[in-house]
Formats: sequence, C-alpha cells, structure tokens
Amino acid sequence: MDRKKGLTDIAARVRHALAEDPDASDEIRSGRAAFLAEVERRNLPPRSSRAATQLNRYWLPLGFAASIAIGAAGLWLWTRAGTFQIGESREGSIGDVIEAADGRVVPVSFSEGSKLVLHDGGRIRVLSVEAGATHVLVEDGIVDASIVHRQTGRTKWEFDVGAYRVTVNGTKFRMAYQSTTRALRVSTEEGQVTVSGGSLETPRMVSAGQSLTPSDPSDAALGIPEVPEAAAGPAAATADSGPGPANSGPGPAGSAPALANSAAQPESPRAGQAARDRQWQELIAAGRLREGLRAAERADFALVCQTATAKELLALAEAGRFFGPSKRAVAALGALRRRFPRSPDAGTAAFTLGRIASEKDGAYSQAADWFEIYLREQPNGPLMGDAFGRLMEARRRAGDLAAARSSAQQYLRRFPAGPYAAEARDILSK
Amino acid sequence: MVTPLTFVGDDAALVEALRAGHPGAAAALYDRYAAPVRLTLRSILGPDDDIPDLLQEVFIRALDRIGRLRDVERLGAWLSTMAVFVARAQIRLRSRRRVLSLFSPERTRPRQLEQPSSDARRALREIYAVLDQMPVDHRMAFVLRHVHGATLVEAAEACETSLATIKRRLARAEVRFLEAVRERPELTYWLEEGTRWTEKKA
Repeated sequence: MDRKKGLTDIAARVRHALAEDPDASDEIRSGRAAFLAEVERRNLPPRSSRAATQLNRYWLPLGFAASIAIGAAGLWLWTRAGTFQIGESREGSIGDVIEAADGRVVPVSFSEGSKLVLHDGGRIRVLSVEAGATHVLVEDGIVDASIVHRQTGRTKWEFDVGAYRVTVNGTKFRMAYQSTTRALRVSTEEGQVTVSGGSLETPRMVSAGQSLTPSDPSDAALGIPEVPEAAAGPAAATADSGPGPANSGPGPAGSAPALANSAAQPESPRAGQAARDRQWQELIAAGRLREGLRAAERADFALVCQTATAKELLALAEAGRFFGPSKRAVAALGALRRRFPRSPDAGTAAFTLGRIASEKDGAYSQAADWFEIYLREQPNGPLMGDAFGRLMEARRRAGDLAAARSSAQQYLRRFPAGPYAAEARDILSK
Repeated sequence: MVTPLTFVGDDAALVEALRAGHPGAAAALYDRYAAPVRLTLRSILGPDDDIPDLLQEVFIRALDRIGRLRDVERLGAWLSTMAVFVARAQIRLRSRRRVLSLFSPERTRPRQLEQPSSDARRALREIYAVLDQMPVDHRMAFVLRHVHGATLVEAAEACETSLATIKRRLARAEVRFLEAVRERPELTYWLEEGTRWTEKKA
C-alpha cells in the first residue's frame, strides 16, 4: 500500500464527509442568534454602576441626593451630547448609514431642533453630535438642512460632502451631491453657509437666494456633468459620465490603463488556449491560492490574465502578494483595471497596487498615486478610511511633508478616532 | 425607506467597523465567516456537539481581540487560526479530564450528535476515535495538514512551533494513524479503496 496516496485519499474522504453536514445551516442560524444575544448582553452597562445607583437611592439622605441630582441634571442639560431620530421613531446611532430609498423621503431630527431631510437616493452618516457641534458626512443625493440658530453662538454644524466642507450656523439650505461624478451644488434659502475645500482656493459664502456649483478643474477635463437643477437627485444622476479618472489617464509607473469597454473581452486569439486550461480556476475557487497561482503560471500567466474574471484576478493578485513574486500581483491587477475599468473591483485593484508599491517595493510616491486614484474613483468606497490613512503615510515616507499634513488634516476631520489618528496627529505636531 | 446600517464592505472595512463598535458589524462578521470557522472546528474535532459553543467562543474572542489584528485583510485567516486554538484547547481540556476522571468516562468522551447513518459517517466517527487516541500535538499536525489542508508552514504557525518539529510530529502521527487504521476493518477498507482509486486514476 502506498502510504502517502492512502493518506491523501482518506483525508479527502474525511473532508467530503465533514462537508456533507445536514445540520450546518440550522446550527449556524441558531448560533447567530446566540452570538448576537451575547454581544447585546456585553453592551449593557456594567453591573457595578447599577448597584451604585441603588446604593445612592437607598442610603444617601434624600435632600442631599435631590440637590445633587438637580445640579447634575443642570450640568447634563448644559453639556450633554445631542441625540437624533431617524423617521418617526427610530433612535439614530453615530456612524449609521441613513439612506432614503424606494421613492421615500427620510427626515432626521436632532434634539436641539435642527432637521435634515434626505430625498430619494440620499445617503448620510452622522459622525458626531457633541454639545454645540454636529458633524455629518453626506455620501450621496439631495439633503435639505434646516439648522436652528442658537443665540449663544455655540452651535456649529459641519457637512463633509465629497472633497468639500459646508459650514453653517443657522440657516436653511440644500446640498445636492452626486458621488459618481463628485459634483456638488449648494443652494441657500435662508441665512448663509460657507463652502470650502475641493476645487475652491478660498472659502465661498453662499447667502440666501444664492447657489454655488464648485467645479473641480480635473473633473471638468473629464467631462463630468453638473448636477441638474431641480431634479438633481441620484435618479437623475445615473447617466454614465464615461470612464473614471483612472481609466482616462496614466497610472503610476507606466502601468497606464487604456480605455476599454466595460464588457470583459479576451485580448487575443491565444486566449482560447488559456480558457482550455482551467485547472487554476478550480484551485482558486477552492481557495488554494498558492497552487492556483502555480497552475496559472503553467497555463501562461499573461493569457490567464486575459480570460480571468475580475474576482479571479483579485484572487490571483492575492496569491501573488503572499506566495509569488509581486510582479504577478501587479500583472493581475493591471489586467483587472484594463478589462473591468468600471467595476468596483477596479478601485480595489488601485488600492492593492498602492499597498504593493508601499509594502513590497518601498515606492511611496507611486503608492500615494494609487491611493489617490482609489479615493478619486471611490470617494465613499469601503476602503476609503484605510486609503486616506495609507495616502498620508505614503506621502510622509516619500518626504512630501506638506502633502502629508494635508492628508493628515483630512483624515482627522473624517476619522478623529480612526486607526491612523495617532500618526496623523504626530504629523501635524511637527 | 431608512436603511439603518447593515454593514456592507470588504474585510478591511469590516475590521474598521468592528473596532468602531458599529452595530451591524458583529452580525456581518458572523454571517461572513461562521461557515468556514465551523468547518475548521469540525475538521479538527470531528462531529461533536460542543461545536456550537466553540463557534460562539471563537467569535466572542474575535470581538475582544479585533484591536490586535494587524493585517486587516487577513481577517479570514486570523479567525481560522483562532478556531484552531479554541479546538486545541478543547482537546487538551478533554485530555486533562480524561486523566482526572478515570471513573467517569462518559464525561470525557466527545459527545457526537450525528448518528452513523451511512458508511461514510461511520468511517468518520471511527477516524476521529483514532485521532482521539493520539497525543494532542500529533493530532493537530495530522489534522491541520491532511484534513484542514494547511501547508506545513501554516500548520507550524498554528501550532506555534518550528517547521522541523511539525514535520517530525506529522511523520509520527501518520505512522500511528496508519497502524491504528489497520486495526479497524471499516477504515482498512476505506484506505485500500482509496489507494486503489488513486492508483487507477494515476
């Protein structure tokens, strides 16, 4: 008996028998409920604080407790962080995505009296509601704001809208933002707001009855349309504005992605040959990345890159990053950006190319270029926070301290407690 | 309609959301990785009715330690390693109980939910009975390499030992496994069938 062969086969049978598991879904489903209940339980306030409350209630002299309570209540009312409510009854949480979909309009009401209204397709996050200062990220769509003016002058509202910042103290205005083209229009009905950042060299005041549509020179060169006036919602903004920036200009290090149709097409007749050799695909699909990469190399890696799907290219790139020369990863990601220029994976590819340039090659300027490309293409993408942080880090390592400071400021504005916050503060302190 | 945060994003974004205490992130973590983590636990322990509890333990540990994860894009591999640790701890716990509770074998034997309703399941149960007799370190090397499909390097990392040691443990485990299998008719048949099948294919 061949020992190795016997072991290999018996192991395969064990795996197969383990995978044939009729109880799996029930067990996972019931496990989910138990897990989330445990998470919920852990979020409860500690028992000791409740015990302390009871102690106060029963043992301290009533009059003394009452006076303390009145004082504390006054202090709390003065300094407390505000709250907000989504729709009629749902309490909002910091960081939640709030969306208006299916033709609905969603009001968001703040405890100090201000109100935002999201129109269909609108998407925002409330980043902070501190005493006197509220910070909101507008990710997409039309948002009407009605901000209560406070005589004390303590109220400060800030909206991050793409690359722009809208600062306000008591007004009614509308922001219409199209994330796909990064086009913004601010129209003020009452009071005034200040718009800064983005393509504006100096902050611009927008008073009652005025509108501002700042245009980014680089965007204009790409033919990005303005947001239409009244119907400036995402529904009206779905018209394709053409290939994104990364597809219309050279990327870093001579890996200029050419314009291409969005449909993936084999790039040469030889592609058929690669299509016939599909072993690498099975291995990649099974998560055996190292073996999949080797099989792809045997099948002619260049041809594989011409026939693979976007997800397969990402997996091959991962395999290249971890197990192979990084040039394999770069080749797979380059092919992905050429062949699938409008897919979200193209942005992920840009981000990963930035990581490779930074971590494997120490090419920090090039890495910064890639992270910028990612942020340009997917300003609200899932890797946005990490891309901002890595961009700042890459600029610092490339010796471009002015740019690093600018990135650090942007990062802290959006992610004051994010994983790169300490580094951002360190950069700003120098 | 309002869509309060159901988490959407890749692993890097998920880790960031978990660290920020995002309310939808724990559920997203579980939904994304419960099946592979459970399979890892099963591949090490076999069919075992402690697996639901251990599955929960892995995810609770993950929430507690998410701040320590360095390469956020290796979330899946990190969870898998955590599942390996949890399973190994469980085997060690049972070994200790076995020693301490010689007069109460019912308490130490892994309880198995699945009844042997087919030849494959019967053989599976037999195989894990063989593995239960091995020293923990040998068993881990064998299971990680042959059942879980880890490379030698990955197995060494998961067992927190050197490559040379894992190779040595694996070689001993293989010898021991084959010896034990030959004493069990059901498994001998499986092994020989497997060998014939492999040879025919080659």
